[in-house]
Amino acid sequence: MTPAFMPVLRLFDQALICAASLVVPNRQRAEWRQEWQSELWHVRRSCAPADCAAWPSEQRVMSFCLGAFQDAFCLRRQCMPLRLPRPAKQGSAAQCILALAAILFACYATALFLPGVRAERSLMVGQVNPGLVMIQNAGYSDNASPTIRPRQYKTWKARRQQYFDGFAFYRVESNSVTQQSALANSNASPWGVAHASTNLFALLGLPLRFADPVHNSADNLPALILSEAKWTREFAADPHIAGTVVRVGNRTARIAGVAPNGSWKLPGKADAWLLEPEPETTSGAGYVIARLTPAGAAEMWTQCVHITAYGPDDSQDDLLGVSIEDYRPSPWSIYLFALLLALLALPAITSVSLGESSVSPQNTSWTRRLTRWSFLSTKIALLLPIVYFASLDTAYAFTTPYSNASAYIQLVSTFALCLFGMRWILRDQRQRCPVCLRLVEHPAQVGQASRTFLAWNGTELMCMDGHTLLHVPGIPTSWFGAQRWLYLDTSWDFLFAGSLGD
Amino acid sequence: MARETKSADAKLSHTAALILHAVDAGFIYGFSIMEMTGLPSGTVYPAMRRLERDELIRSHWERQSIADAEQRPPRKYYKLTAAGKITLEASRKRYPLLERLIPSEEAKSV
Repeated sequence: MTPAFMPVLRLFDQALICAASLVVPNRQRAEWRQEWQSELWHVRRSCAPADCAAWPSEQRVMSFCLGAFQDAFCLRRQCMPLRLPRPAKQGSAAQCILALAAILFACYATALFLPGVRAERSLMVGQVNPGLVMIQNAGYSDNASPTIRPRQYKTWKARRQQYFDGFAFYRVESNSVTQQSALANSNASPWGVAHASTNLFALLGLPLRFADPVHNSADNLPALILSEAKWTREFAADPHIAGTVVRVGNRTARIAGVAPNGSWKLPGKADAWLLEPEPETTSGAGYVIARLTPAGAAEMWTQCVHITAYGPDDSQDDLLGVSIEDYRPSPWSIYLFALLLALLALPAITSVSLGESSVSPQNTSWTRRLTRWSFLSTKIALLLPIVYFASLDTAYAFTTPYSNASAYIQLVSTFALCLFGMRWILRDQRQRCPVCLRLVEHPAQVGQASRTFLAWNGTELMCMDGHTLLHVPGIPTSWFGAQRWLYLDTSWDFLFAGSLGD
Repeated sequence: MARETKSADAKLSHTAALILHAVDAGFIYGFSIMEMTGLPSGTVYPAMRRLERDELIRSHWERQSIADAEQRPPRKYYKLTAAGKITLEASRKRYPLLERLIPSEEAKSV
């Protein structure tokens, strides 16, 4: 080793001692550092004399210096006894809020991953436009049957209407759908393809995924909208599906987008929608969607209205216009309804009083009261979303999306969770010390039930921080109907010396 | 007296007893104890802190004039207390080989 390195190594050793000295308590640091520097001087003189610097001897010096850290930590432990981590106070307000927040997070995370909840969310996005009716022949009681012929639709569309300002037509057929690039697949099962007018999706206001207007306008090929189920199954959920050319029966079409799951709620099960300018055939019946004008909407007193229309040969057709607005309640409206019911039912199962009355003249300060009310508000604010997400989790964990069963399960679970959740919140609030918001503990039965009218009978609970004593009457009487708080003065402190020191 | 009895009853580890024995044998500063016992600095110095905390040894700084005369920094020396001597006697009974590890004669000749 060259002597030029010696000052650097000495500085490094000194730096190690200085760094270790930072661990030593302040009042002993100077003396400790002096001792180690003195010892280092002797160690260096003994192990690495100035005239023969060698790497092994420098290693010995360095290992000596590293021992300073152990000594420093030892001295620190001696001077500052190890403080055990303070255990979290049982039943504290923070503990309660954290537990509720954790439950909320778990419920929310579960809702995020449940396919039923996701489908319901996409359904809420894909609500149909308001003011739409489905026109069908009044002679058919079943509104799922196609009853309107393409000629009728063309006639109505061509004429000026007073009550309608837009028409769309669709008719579901079975067609084979194959990719243009793929070999003809004769074994492919036919799809339910809705041959629809080009304005169907625009009129309904249904959302489209992966819609590509560039490809759509590139040629005059009719657009094909895929259902999400078919897109997933037949096209492996390819996000670049838009623009793909396929054969639909004997026609060529270009895929223009994907209709999200649950967005299609009209009669006729369709795997895909082929949007054509005009219905190709004049035979076969289909469905007609019409948009009401303000005058038409004013005539819609109920969900369906009778319509008399003139056909192509000026014959009068007796028709029925049925509103297609989604009357199925959304999860949010179910939640609000169940919440209202639960709040109405709450007084039947528990007292809504917070038990603030006190037997001692001392009153809590307004800051403590504000803290208490803030705590109550926070609990309620956390409970409400917990109930919402937990009810969604319950409703969609075992049922298929868009089923009525899920709506009923959500209603019942929201009601039950909200009712018993609010009950727990009130009971919890009543058993929290008004001073520290900690749950009172150690219930002690005082008196006997048979002596209620002669002496006090009930349960006493104590705040473990020594602030208060809670008296809960065993049998509410006219002179002691509700629980009362007794604020403990300083003369009680000796009982709680241990817990106050925490 | 009560303190001495308590110290004598205290059971030292072999390392602590070895260091106590080394101090008694005349190795009165940290580095000499390291050299004598072969223990690293990270063991010797913390053990000495504990022995001093338990009042088995006590330390004092060398006078500056002596260090100046020898052109070196002053050292901190350690010495057994009365309680330390009693404890050492008890430890010798417990660890009879201590005498062989650090013979007193060798210390005297240093």
